[in-house]
Amino acid sequence: MSDLKRTFLPVTTYVPIDIKRLFRDKVAIFFVFIFPLIFLLIFGSIFGGDSSVSFRVAIFNQSQSEIASNLVSQMRDTGLFNIDEGLTDEVAAREKMSRGQLDAAIIVPSEFGSTQKDNATPSGEVKILYDQGNESGGQTLASIMDSMMESVNSQFVNISVPFTVKTESTATAGLSRFDYTFSGILGFTLLSLGIFGPTSVFPRMKQKGVLRRYEATTLKVWQFFLGNVLSNAFIGLLALVLMFVSAVVVFKLNMRGSYINLAIIVAVGTVLMYGIGLAIGGWAKNENQAAPISQLVVLPMMFLSGVFFPVFLMPEVLQNITRFIPLTPIIDSIRLIITENASLLDLGPQLAVIGGWIVIIYILAFKLFRWE
Amino acid sequence: MPKPMIQVKDLTKRYGDKTVVDAISFDVQKGEIFGILGPNGAGKTTTLEMLETMRPIDNGQAKLNGINIAKEPQKIKALIGVQPQTPNFEEKTKLTELINFLASCYGEKVDAVSLLKRVNLEEKANSYPENLSGGQKQRFSIATALVHNPKVFFLDEPTTGLDPQARRNLWGLVKEVRDSGITVLMTTHYMDEAELLCDRVAIMDEGKIIALDSPKKLIKDLLKRGFSKQQHVEQANLEDVFIDLTGKALRE
Repeated sequence: MSDLKRTFLPVTTYVPIDIKRLFRDKVAIFFVFIFPLIFLLIFGSIFGGDSSVSFRVAIFNQSQSEIASNLVSQMRDTGLFNIDEGLTDEVAAREKMSRGQLDAAIIVPSEFGSTQKDNATPSGEVKILYDQGNESGGQTLASIMDSMMESVNSQFVNISVPFTVKTESTATAGLSRFDYTFSGILGFTLLSLGIFGPTSVFPRMKQKGVLRRYEATTLKVWQFFLGNVLSNAFIGLLALVLMFVSAVVVFKLNMRGSYINLAIIVAVGTVLMYGIGLAIGGWAKNENQAAPISQLVVLPMMFLSGVFFPVFLMPEVLQNITRFIPLTPIIDSIRLIITENASLLDLGPQLAVIGGWIVIIYILAFKLFRWE
Repeated sequence: MPKPMIQVKDLTKRYGDKTVVDAISFDVQKGEIFGILGPNGAGKTTTLEMLETMRPIDNGQAKLNGINIAKEPQKIKALIGVQPQTPNFEEKTKLTELINFLASCYGEKVDAVSLLKRVNLEEKANSYPENLSGGQKQRFSIATALVHNPKVFFLDEPTTGLDPQARRNLWGLVKEVRDSGITVLMTTHYMDEAELLCDRVAIMDEGKIIALDSPKKLIKDLLKRGFSKQQHVEQANLEDVFIDLTGKALRE
């Protein structure tokens, strides 16, 4: 056997054993393969639907005019309103709004649509009631009603509008909201696979003295690390392929980029996330030490990396920090590949951040590793 | 006299103010079974772990096959096989896979099944370690310690918790290992085990070696000092009765 082959023998022996071991463990199979799929199905159904915004409103039409009843049926047809039919008076609506169960009440007063004495055309004013705590909801609703009024007005007054806004949602270009959500779900899976695995497995192995048995041999830490990283990168890729197939089949994911690029990002992302888990699990003597530290690392990443909340909604200070959190460039890269067919060259800045973190995390993991 | 396989001089280990191993010195000859005896907490395991390169040596010197243990731990690790007090292995892993991996740690490829045959476990080749009995686990651990043909084999209280049949079987295995030319250094707190198995023993108490010789010589010396047992010694004891009734065959 050549020296090189001998040096890598522990790695090449460990990887297939470690992968087989996973498939013999029903609990591990559930957490690695099934749980992310359940997560995908739940979040995919929540975020995958097309009716993205829906206002819970009560409509009180006090007018007998035809214009008023047309307006109400138009409101029903938009699909933007989730109309609470059970409410009959304003007092009950106010009461429900104060409890946050209703966004607004739209009142069409009795004189709406009637012709005032000096005017030839009918007129009216719709009233929108909203709770003080729901300012933004009220404003949005007001502008929706404004535009509806405009179309009503155009039936009576023929005016040409020189400046208009034409909105075009990206959904018309073939991208659904799911396509965006999916990269967050993938990122979350990478995060939980990479960190929760080693932070529970390694401390348990230490307490049983399994790692100490390895320490008694000539096995080197880097050989042990490399074996674990490779087997986990493989398992991570497999889990994500499964999610990807489900996303395409169930949620009609539009994949616009290259599968090879995506696989590279997923593999690199697994290596980084697993490195974080390795640093924590390799350092911790027992699960009591590992659990709080891993929570401390996972929670901020989960909330600041755009898994659940879009980064652009955060304050600018936070956005700047967010960019440098390990998970953010991974999710961004996945999103850019899926939705914009980004090349690895386009992803240079993201890859630079990921690369930097890999160096830092693995130096840390080597320094902190303990066999017992 | 040939050079000893292990040379220990003034070996010392402290934990804080407590001196756990207190400047002990002894030699282990090539091809012998050397036992370290003593009550719990005497410093046996710590001594063993220092010689296995698993604990830093605070003071004194230890050499194995002429190599300084503190200075060249990687070289020492390649020469020794280690049996921990409670051997544990990664779960859901076949015995053959574990042997293959442990051999690969030394850069070696081995015939796992024939190694298992050596410790009478060939029919368990595809079992997982968590499904083995205590005695089987100990025997498997011996097989994993021999994957790289070591010169010295360390065993830490190998028969604690085993039934009489399993203990006897293990003694036979240790003797076979010694007979294949491997030097054995073991700890125990069972005197019958030491008397039967060890060529020489060191008795430790509170971190110091208080006696070192062959079991026969130590007994003879004691009798010379006028010691006599208060109770009349029978020609057999309860364990003999037990073995006579249940047989020597392994139960697992």
